[in-house]
Amino acid sequence: MEVQEIIKNLKSQIVEQLNLEEVKPEDIDADAPLFGTGLGLDSIDALELIVLLEKNYDVKIEDPKESKAVFASVKTMAEYIAAHSK
Amino acid sequence: METYINSQACISHYNTIDEDFFFEETSVIPSSNFLFVTAPVYKDYIPANTIRRTSHILKMGISSGLMCLKNEGAEQTDAIIVGTAMGCFEDTDKFLRSINDNDERMLTPTSFIQSTHNTVAGQIALLVKCHGYNFTYVHQNLSFEYALLDALMLLKEGEAKNILVGGVDELIPPLCELFERAGHIKKTENLQEPIWASTSKGYVAGEGATFFYLSSTSTANSLAKIKGVRTIQKLKSSEELLEQCYLFLKEINLKKEDINLVLSGINGDSEKDEHLKEFNSKIALPIAYFKHLCGEYFTSSSFALWFAAKMIKKQQIPVWALPNTEAPKKLQHILIFNQYEDQQYSLICVSQC
Amino acid sequence: MSTRVHITGMGIISAIGDSVEENFLSLSQCKTGIAKINHLKTNHKNEFVCGEVKHSNEELNTIAGTKNYNRTTILGLIAAKEALHSAGIKAIKEGRTGFISSTTVAGMCHTELIYKDFFDNKTNENFIDSHFSGVSTNEIAAHLGITEYVTTISTACSSAANAVMLGARLIKNNILDRVIVGGVDALSKFTLNGFNTLMILDTEWCKPFDENRKGLNLGEGAAYLVLESEEQVKKFNKKSMALLSGYGNANDAYHQTASSPEGHGAFLAMQKALKVAEFPPESIDYINAHGTGTPNNDSSEGIAMQTIFENKVPKFSSTKAYTGHTLAAAAAIEAVISILSMQNNMIFPCLNRSEQMKDLSITPISELQKNVDLKNVMSNSFGFGGNCSTLIFSKN
Repeated sequence: MEVQEIIKNLKSQIVEQLNLEEVKPEDIDADAPLFGTGLGLDSIDALELIVLLEKNYDVKIEDPKESKAVFASVKTMAEYIAAHSK
Repeated sequence: METYINSQACISHYNTIDEDFFFEETSVIPSSNFLFVTAPVYKDYIPANTIRRTSHILKMGISSGLMCLKNEGAEQTDAIIVGTAMGCFEDTDKFLRSINDNDERMLTPTSFIQSTHNTVAGQIALLVKCHGYNFTYVHQNLSFEYALLDALMLLKEGEAKNILVGGVDELIPPLCELFERAGHIKKTENLQEPIWASTSKGYVAGEGATFFYLSSTSTANSLAKIKGVRTIQKLKSSEELLEQCYLFLKEINLKKEDINLVLSGINGDSEKDEHLKEFNSKIALPIAYFKHLCGEYFTSSSFALWFAAKMIKKQQIPVWALPNTEAPKKLQHILIFNQYEDQQYSLICVSQC
Repeated sequence: MSTRVHITGMGIISAIGDSVEENFLSLSQCKTGIAKINHLKTNHKNEFVCGEVKHSNEELNTIAGTKNYNRTTILGLIAAKEALHSAGIKAIKEGRTGFISSTTVAGMCHTELIYKDFFDNKTNENFIDSHFSGVSTNEIAAHLGITEYVTTISTACSSAANAVMLGARLIKNNILDRVIVGGVDALSKFTLNGFNTLMILDTEWCKPFDENRKGLNLGEGAAYLVLESEEQVKKFNKKSMALLSGYGNANDAYHQTASSPEGHGAFLAMQKALKVAEFPPESIDYINAHGTGTPNNDSSEGIAMQTIFENKVPKFSSTKAYTGHTLAAAAAIEAVISILSMQNNMIFPCLNRSEQMKDLSITPISELQKNVDLKNVMSNSFGFGGNCSTLIFSKN
């Protein structure tokens, strides 16, 4: 799958998985930080996203410490998926 | 040392979130055998980032707690104590179903994290940054009573000047099915009899979240004071109810004649209400009822306390809560006598400030 | 007001033994109870190691003399009965007696087996009378003949410490003369999978306070203490095992599950306990730490200890590499272990630990120590919802 395609899908999946009711997928900036600022997600969301990756893309993150870099932004997530998809 | 209810907040089936509401347009007959709450606008109380993943009981419990603080004009409290018999069942149900549906694979953490019983107390502490004493009692129909007893003791010890105490339990579809299949729920065709004159089995189930801001010092806005709380674990006979009542009154230096009103935990199950009905007829005091308003749930005594405090402050009893009885001329002391399924009885005395 | 609160009896069942004596033997022989999962039916059976009690439900029912009780209730009953027996209580009515238990998941060990079938209408077995928290407490209380004050606390992993604390306060406020206090939790798919979603389980034997620690091992069990007032002890000429001299509960108010990096809640709980005991920090001879083996807890707790003891931290260890993390029962199990430490002048070590944590200047005891005079022992337990509790036990 192309990174751009993954980015588009990820945006809706993130909104749904994390129940971000007030946020429209198209309004999410792919380069903006997901944690801290930007969408303001936290460590519980990180765990949710680890499951999202496995469930929707069959990509596993074994070590939660790895997730910080992977989940920096929607773009980094998409790139990680593209690189690790079978 | 007295314990004052300086503010309170209640989320229940009726519009009790409106402080001016006093059951003006209501009915003695419950509209259904499941009384779900009338919710506030949750995002007025809970930040968006928290609200997006909170379940029903957490939304109710957190809002009620924060509403209570707001009603007091307080931003903080020294301690938080909650009573909840069933805890966060929606989250528990969600996680259990997920375990079964996915064969224990690819499970997400949020519902597990929030299934722990002390999540309501923990979340309130997190939102108001309260580092003080934080306890949760989970002892079925006496969960709220034990929370209250602890609060009274904590104030007496001088360990806290003010305490946020609450009773919370939710009613969600799996619980409705659970109670119905256990034969607890009143059939809809039997709803037409008022709960105090019921000849059929079963009760109307309910839910709610009620919080109190308790303190050892009163303010101009104090609603009432709590004179005492007593729990009765196991009942041997209906005579025992009378004995326990007299022992309780003696303990709090009151006589039967001092009590203006009994607020009774009759729930409409003709079989399980028998002992309490016998007590009501023997005590020879005006009897009011509350479970046709809030439904039966393990922490319904928190609703009863809210109701009693409000009646005392207003010196009024909504007319349909007091059937076949002349209203007492004054409301100085109200005795709440609650029970669930003829088990775990409790007495709470609420008095004028 | 303040009478002294004595511990006159103890009972325990855990992964390392079915009684106080068996637990002590394992502790003093450095024998862990962490092993492959044997009784719990789970798809993760071969993935994780746990501190499982070494009996099936049938065996436990036989030991307890009961029939078809769920695992939580039987574990609690076995430990509570031992506590009562060890306190030499012949007649419950000898004093105003209470029972305070605690649990995180109560009857879930049974509920989870029938949940799906119940809602698929394949069974009518209704778990309404076994699932909820107060049920096992009431059943155990009924067996013990206690009716006066019976309640259940649930504050995640600090639950039993809070039960102990409440018991002490009820005695000091002259509401009860004695009270059996503690907690119980049985292993369940619910908790095993739950902790797995948080990615804080170690697939191997846990290593509390080791730099390379990966997480915790879940455990199960029950433990109860009998607390009695000084008056009660004198009146009935009781043998006092120890004093409960201090206790404190505080809230971290930082995150739903994680502890603050500086361990603020832990610090406050320890501070409160020292204040109640009226002890300066230097009077503590040993700390039985919460020490779950998660990166977050051990760091946070270590820093909190360094702060409150101002770098004169007493000897400390975590015993969770013996028993696993027993959730609500943890504080009670570790209270028994703390008292055994004092009674036998021993410190039970941090098993499976070798590498110094880089973010701490302190090192736990990693080898069994004997002939150590322990006058005052502190025990920490911290749970979800920021709930932090500390107990202090003293030699009488």
